[in-house]
Amino acid sequence: MGTTKTVHILHNSEQPASVFSILESGTKNIHVIADGLFDLLMMKLSQHYTSKKQTKIESKGPRFELGDFCVKLGSVTMNQNFKGILIEVEYRPCVMANAVWGLLREFLQGLLGPTVPVQPPQHLMSRMNEIYTPIDTIYQYLEHFSAYRKVTGMRNN
Amino acid sequence: MSAANLAPITATDSLSQALKANIIPNQEYLLQGSVLDSAVEVLLHRLRGLCDNVDAGTETFDDQEVCFSLRDPNQQAAPLMLRVRKALDARDMPFQLRYIGQPDLGDKSRPTVVRSSLDIACSGMLIEFLNELGCRIEFEYSVKGYMFRKGRMKITVSKVFKISQSSMSPEPISQSYLVELSVLAPQGQDAIGEDMRAFADQLRPLVQLDKIDYKRLGHMSVT
Repeated sequence: MGTTKTVHILHNSEQPASVFSILESGTKNIHVIADGLFDLLMMKLSQHYTSKKQTKIESKGPRFELGDFCVKLGSVTMNQNFKGILIEVEYRPCVMANAVWGLLREFLQGLLGPTVPVQPPQHLMSRMNEIYTPIDTIYQYLEHFSAYRKVTGMRNN
Repeated sequence: MSAANLAPITATDSLSQALKANIIPNQEYLLQGSVLDSAVEVLLHRLRGLCDNVDAGTETFDDQEVCFSLRDPNQQAAPLMLRVRKALDARDMPFQLRYIGQPDLGDKSRPTVVRSSLDIACSGMLIEFLNELGCRIEFEYSVKGYMFRKGRMKITVSKVFKISQSSMSPEPISQSYLVELSVLAPQGQDAIGEDMRAFADQLRPLVQLDKIDYKRLGHMSVT
């Protein structure tokens, strides 16, 4: 079959009617946003692929709104094993990362202290002046989930 | 700060709930037929009289469909067919990804063909996605015509065209229009088949809508 490709299927409770799928093929990522029945189709496809059933990972927890900010505190579990806490902060009126990164960083410093990285997340680096869409959030979650997978035990930052 | 919804229902939970409650429209009930170009106006006129969505004029569509196949690496299962449709007349609409299972014609008492079907709206890079998954393009065509609704039933009257490579206008595949009457419904709602048969009977003088068996058509010689 040649090189191994990985298909990730992700759901976000902010967009409950959508399914996000990201296909990792070498250096390229291809994404598709579909409605809920996509999950059923992927089940049908499962006979054609090897499914890694044991690698379900989720971030689940309370969601807060503070003015224009939305903060989600997710406790990350992989197969019922606690892996760490993932914090998502969204500033909702703005659609361009470049215009809001400074503000988000300051907000996060208020929550987490001075350890917040200066650089924006990897995925956004090349997209700082593009319109931000829900798939950009999904890519960031995937980045973190992949990092969680790699470490055994808890992950600290 | 206000916290809401401490434990949202996960997507897998809601999907299995929907499966359990049998509310997913995954069956297509289908009747098909065709009319000659010369007779299509009379049929359209009749449909305009019978159907619901005619107040703002007849609804038209102009779609392109690409059919992909995904072969089983172990050669055990039949290849899986996936169809991608995009609207040429509304390019910002999502793609439609469709899985259609084997048609089940049943016996004479069953009024329509029933086949499993998954209809999924998709955006993004669907064609590249399917290519990378290992799907191969089998064929493509464009289809242009009219769409009517009558309750839950969908009636399309459409013409199939070959995809032209150059800028020439697309060439029609035949001198007739394909007429399809279909309903997407959850499993077990067989009563809809009777409604469809009754509606088909109302069109019978103009077009004969029937259960078409493609396997038998395949054996017929092409003249």
